[in-house]
Amino acid sequence: MDILSQLLVGFHAALTPVNILFIAFGISLGIVIGVIPGLGSVTAIAVLIPLTFYMSPVVAIAFLVGVNKGGTSGGAVPSILLNTPGTPEAAASAFDGYPMSRKGQSGKAMKYALYSSVAGDTLSDMLLILLAAPFAALALQFGPLELTAVFFFAFALLAGLTSDSVIKGLLAIFVGVFLSTIGLDPIDSSPRMVFGRVELFDGLPLIAVAIGGLALSSVMFQMTELWRHGDTHRRHDTLAADRAQNRLRPAEFFDHWRTIVRSAAIGSGVGMLPGLGVTLAAFLSYGAARRASKNPESFGKGNPEGIIATEAANSAVVGSNLIPTIAIGIPGNIAAALLIGAFMIHGIVPGPFMLTMHGDVIYALVASMLIANVVHLVIGRAGIGIWSWVARAPRSAVLPPVIVMGIAGVYLPNQSLFEIGIMLAFAVLGVLMRYTGFSIVCLVIGFLLGSMLEGSLRKALLLHRGDFSAILSSPISMIFFAIGLFVLIRAFRKS
Amino acid sequence: MTKATTYGAGVATLIALSMGLALTTAARADYPEKPVTMVVPYSAGGSTETLARVFSKALGDELGQPVIVKTRPGGGGAVGSTELAAAEADGYTIMLSGSDPLTWTPLTLSVEYAFDSFTFVSQISEYQQAIIVRADSPDQTFDDLLARSKANPGLTYADQNAMSRAFIEYIGNEEGIDWTGVPTAGGGEMVPLLLAGKIDFAWSGGIHSRYGDQMRVLASMNADRLAASPDAPSVSEKYGIAMPGHMLITGPKGLPDDIVAKLSAAVQAATKNEEYLGLLEGKLLFPSKYRGSAELTVDMETTYANLKKIVEATQ
Repeated sequence: MDILSQLLVGFHAALTPVNILFIAFGISLGIVIGVIPGLGSVTAIAVLIPLTFYMSPVVAIAFLVGVNKGGTSGGAVPSILLNTPGTPEAAASAFDGYPMSRKGQSGKAMKYALYSSVAGDTLSDMLLILLAAPFAALALQFGPLELTAVFFFAFALLAGLTSDSVIKGLLAIFVGVFLSTIGLDPIDSSPRMVFGRVELFDGLPLIAVAIGGLALSSVMFQMTELWRHGDTHRRHDTLAADRAQNRLRPAEFFDHWRTIVRSAAIGSGVGMLPGLGVTLAAFLSYGAARRASKNPESFGKGNPEGIIATEAANSAVVGSNLIPTIAIGIPGNIAAALLIGAFMIHGIVPGPFMLTMHGDVIYALVASMLIANVVHLVIGRAGIGIWSWVARAPRSAVLPPVIVMGIAGVYLPNQSLFEIGIMLAFAVLGVLMRYTGFSIVCLVIGFLLGSMLEGSLRKALLLHRGDFSAILSSPISMIFFAIGLFVLIRAFRKS
Repeated sequence: MTKATTYGAGVATLIALSMGLALTTAARADYPEKPVTMVVPYSAGGSTETLARVFSKALGDELGQPVIVKTRPGGGGAVGSTELAAAEADGYTIMLSGSDPLTWTPLTLSVEYAFDSFTFVSQISEYQQAIIVRADSPDQTFDDLLARSKANPGLTYADQNAMSRAFIEYIGNEEGIDWTGVPTAGGGEMVPLLLAGKIDFAWSGGIHSRYGDQMRVLASMNADRLAASPDAPSVSEKYGIAMPGHMLITGPKGLPDDIVAKLSAAVQAATKNEEYLGLLEGKLLFPSKYRGSAELTVDMETTYANLKKIVEATQ
């Protein structure tokens, strides 16, 4: 067994005290950075790459993979505790995590999130080891036309998810897509709705829109409610009672194995397609879990399956987005793109020759990823104790610092006050939408996927010269269009 | 924006007046006295940014002050260029970029700077621009591609920015060929399209060198043939046009001559740094190509005049 022996050599290279220490360091840093609204794994990797100049390739990349894993799972903490997702990818964790938190089960919700993250991650790492080459070949088949179909399917699924009515959900998505058209036209570079501002050439800044709409608007909404009704959060009676209802036995967790496996599969599938991103995986998985459930109406009210679906899927992307990175040299998402930069600084050029030329490094990397999952479990579990302390603090003390952190998080990467303005505008818009029953989450996702949809749709139209019958020539696009249509029709029938 | 610039200029005048000219000259002799900011107008993770990280260390060692890389992505380099144009011409803000945001962008978009808003300090390398096909494409040479394109109108290609599209369209016009362009945001998007066979050919800024014999270079879009593909002709041989491929260091307009000289000398020394050369020539497969300010400025002016002709011909 060739792979097995190479993997054993990889483990031999990876199981050094220095390597494990840096993995632990990376995961801890990643979790802390991920918890801060506005700073996710992408910012963390970008900031920390210079630190890796002084490390050997294996240590450096293992460290960055640790940061990536920690950052992705750390984002769930503010979603669950405060309903303030720091990144769009963790937004779906808030749907069920926050209600659980309100019932006094924040510890349990965080355990569900952590265990699902690690499980999803491990499953996708195994896929990376076994199937990198064939998966990469399959992923190449997803051209512009096929991706357009995937986005159509995603929007159909999303519309019925987060809003009380399908029409309101679709409207919010369409407004998001509309906002995503601000900026330079991707085809002829003419400026659209930029009002002469160079800052808008690349569109509204995504992080500012996401933090404003998702996190800040939630804080403002909660503060308004606090002021109107007082603190309605359940107070914990005794520490013992608190412990009892936050316990999560392994058997109880593994009872949800169907959701875990399904979500890991969805996350891995999305991750291996370059450019689709973590957020799409999280929401597709949440939607699929809700559809598969026997009582879908319990979703959004504190069903742990919602957390499992989101976290297992978004963490599964971390492993599988290295498939296109390793097999064809194309990063699966921004985090993987930054990893490519790190590879190159350390003398490893990603691409089809990476496995043959640097096989030792790749297998050491894969071994490090598997080791990192174990380390992640240990460190994440220890962290839950600390975050639970935050959960017991009064709201009026916890919420204001989130605003400060959000502003700092948006300001830091580009040092632009313009982005702070955009963030505040979306915070106000988010509060208004919350009071009127429109889903700000749908708007943000529409915005996020809108530019990708425009890109793939217009490329598909160009490639096939506006001939819609091209759909019939591609089985993949036919399948996704058909399922999307089916989901949409059913959602309309129900409401 | 204009208000801020005026305000900034006002403050600068005030400071200059209060300090007196003699003092300023004396201070300049000690340049640099504090860290220098190097703007990279592209996103983190790309080849320019990766290179900038290593180059800034070498340059900092030469200058005796740290050089800090600041990424300001957006508008294909326009956002960072706007920031540089508005910065004070004191040598503490410089930029590492390709030349198209300085030339093509002000020609084709309404931005708040012009070609003459900059001081050209030195060139350090050259992007390896080419027209490429997949290894199993029927086209062995550029002439094969032209012949096949004439026989089958509407062959598709991937471009990566407005300038690359305009150049390919220019060739198409010259040959009377109808090509369908598909825009991509960079090499990362172009490669899967090409490898999956969804397009017939593509423009590459140099990423093809990482794919060895999976891709074939048919023509160089630079003024000269590419060192790695000496058999493929340059488009300049046939059409008399070529895409500027400079990777260069610039400062704001009016950078004092002594600072330009000091920076230029430090850049020249830094381009001989081994670690930097290892990344540039060994990994990115870009040539090290140093040119000083005077020579570069003349070259950029010719480049700009040529681009102006292309813009007028295609738009």
